[in-house]
Amino acid sequence: MSNSIVISASGLTLSYGHTDIIKDASFSIKKGEFVFITGPSGSGKSTLLKSLYGQIKPTVGELIVGGLDMEKISHSKLQELRTHLGIVFQDYKLINEWSVAKNVVLPLIIAGYSIDVQMTQAKRLLNHVKLSDHIDKYPLELSGGEQQRVGVARAMSKNPFLILADEPTGNLDDYSSNVIWDLMENACQQLHTTVLVVTHRIPNVFSIPYRHFIIENKGVYEVH
Amino acid sequence: MKFIKHHLTFIFPMMAILLGVEFFLVFDRTTTNYEQELREGYSMFVVAKEPISIESFQKLDSHISQREEVKKEVLAKQIAEGMSKSSADKILEALPFFYNIKFDSYLHTSKLEHIKAYLEADGRIKRVETFGNSYGASYTLFSFIKFTFKAFVIFMSLISLVLVIKQMEIWNYEHKERMQVMETFGAPIMLRSGVLFKVAVIDALISTILTSGIFVFVKYRWAEESHIDILMHMQELLFQPIDFAILLAMSLFIVFISVYLVVFSTKGQLQ
Repeated sequence: MSNSIVISASGLTLSYGHTDIIKDASFSIKKGEFVFITGPSGSGKSTLLKSLYGQIKPTVGELIVGGLDMEKISHSKLQELRTHLGIVFQDYKLINEWSVAKNVVLPLIIAGYSIDVQMTQAKRLLNHVKLSDHIDKYPLELSGGEQQRVGVARAMSKNPFLILADEPTGNLDDYSSNVIWDLMENACQQLHTTVLVVTHRIPNVFSIPYRHFIIENKGVYEVH
Repeated sequence: MKFIKHHLTFIFPMMAILLGVEFFLVFDRTTTNYEQELREGYSMFVVAKEPISIESFQKLDSHISQREEVKKEVLAKQIAEGMSKSSADKILEALPFFYNIKFDSYLHTSKLEHIKAYLEADGRIKRVETFGNSYGASYTLFSFIKFTFKAFVIFMSLISLVLVIKQMEIWNYEHKERMQVMETFGAPIMLRSGVLFKVAVIDALISTILTSGIFVFVKYRWAEESHIDILMHMQELLFQPIDFAILLAMSLFIVFISVYLVVFSTKGQLQ
């Protein structure tokens, strides 16, 4: 496998119990690519995304993420891999007891960075997501769009090599959606971060090149 | 208010467990002391044809710990009072050897009967006498009280443990999503469960201090003023410094087990 390949799936099958959700999928994604995965509800988009951060193990076939075989990966290696990923959830998954700033720097806390570094990074990222006035607030004091911007800032706080986003703009207004797409485009273009977004529909205005995969009848197909 | 309630719902059952443990320790010390008194007050009187050493007695039964020889000269002198010296010498020569034997532990009456029978079967021994009537009654009553108390303490501790686990389930519910989010971002187990550990260790420490405080109060204030003989007599056995360490170790052990149970039950998929 080439060093520039970040994700590689070969004959990948993902199942819940005895039910196959994704069957015999093969694809690869290179460093710095922006990828959309679309498909109808229940088609297995989120399941595929979960398999990329090790929440679900492949039933059959091979799945390599960041050079690690997700079927054979040890607990400690998976933990290590996750510290280099940025994950964005549709329902934000912020820690409500923590301030916005602390939520943003969760990956830095896990990595053991000093408070000074954490604060500098929190201010920088919150400025990027246009929430610098909300640094000391708590998630429940923010709107849904603002919470998702915090979620995106969190995903980017440790400069991950791969951002995985599950319906990041699913419930958001146009303004918040645009801010989030801008952030992801910038991460991809300027930092060469690979971004993989699971979504119902691709935004109408999208300024950088991207690849598009669709999930249909349990298969993963690239749309050209 | 909610914060205090959450702490108290952990502290109270933890205290119940620790009180059970401390009662157990005090009871064990007291009964060990009482057993020793009973054991020391009990002996077998052995009449033998020839001298028997302590080693020979121990070969017959390993529980025999002491052998006191009753001096024949003293007995002969008392019997031969007013008689001639030659008669006294003949009496001394005719007298068998007398021994008082004691045991190393508090033995069941059936075991004592067994030892007695074993001694009587030995050719060197003519007769064995025991002073066991009050011993037997004490043993039965004492064993019953001991069993009942220990059963009660274990039962109470189990009930309290269930309450501790219930409280842990509430914590589990409160912290589940936070811990799962942290796990998804690769946080190690100690970081994920840091808050739970902090809260639980503080509560365990408070429980230990309160439980120790109760017993220190009972020992230094209440026992003295109670005019209850056994409490005044056994005051030293009521609470000892090592008990604090035992209670703290026990509470921390329960905390670590409970927190790990919660942490492992929250592993898995984010919904």
